[in-house]
Amino acid sequence: MGRSVKKGPYVDAKLLEKVTKQKDTGNKEPIRTWARACTVIPDFVGHTFLIHNGKVFNKLFVTEDMVGHKLGEFSLTRIFRGHGGVKKKEIKPPGT
Amino acid sequence: MPRIAGVDIPANKRMVIALTYIYGIGKALSQKILKAVGIDENIRAKDLHEDQLSTLASYIEKNYTTEGALRRQETQNIALLRSLGCYRGYRHKVGLPVRGQRTRTNARTRKGRKKTVAGRKIERA
Repeated sequence: MGRSVKKGPYVDAKLLEKVTKQKDTGNKEPIRTWARACTVIPDFVGHTFLIHNGKVFNKLFVTEDMVGHKLGEFSLTRIFRGHGGVKKKEIKPPGT
Repeated sequence: MPRIAGVDIPANKRMVIALTYIYGIGKALSQKILKAVGIDENIRAKDLHEDQLSTLASYIEKNYTTEGALRRQETQNIALLRSLGCYRGYRHKVGLPVRGQRTRTNARTRKGRKKTVAGRKIERA
């Protein structure tokens, strides 16, 4: 279910503060953040974020199309390295 | 055989059903449209008057996207998600369910027919 319209989109307060500060100073340095649940609002466009995925920070340059998504959607938390490798195990000599 | 919204030719079925042959119109929308235009749901398409048909056709064209236009819109939306590099786009790319469904079992619509992996049983034993 969607979030109540009354509340408006969830935006991390501290993150918004940082973005507005950057806007005033014209500084375009990436902002490190853990706020994956934070919605991308139009103010974020043109800024760069480093979004934590539980392990590392993924860089994201926000474009207009990204508005309305959550930051976390752009920093995947799982790596799929493919299936298989069963054969390798069979080749292994027994007893090792 | 009347034509509505391009190439669609709803046959001699009840109008509610006939309209659902158009891509983008289901039963609920069909009922809504017929009510708005003032045509009885139970009338057959062949019994409709010529200008009733034309008002129906123009009403649908004006208010709803159907058929090719709708299909194009859908593919565009997916293409946008793909280019964005977001999670949903990624799921579209790899052909897995997009909305958080389980993939341990099921998810066959997205994943296609079952591919049996050989040697799985041996590994488990």
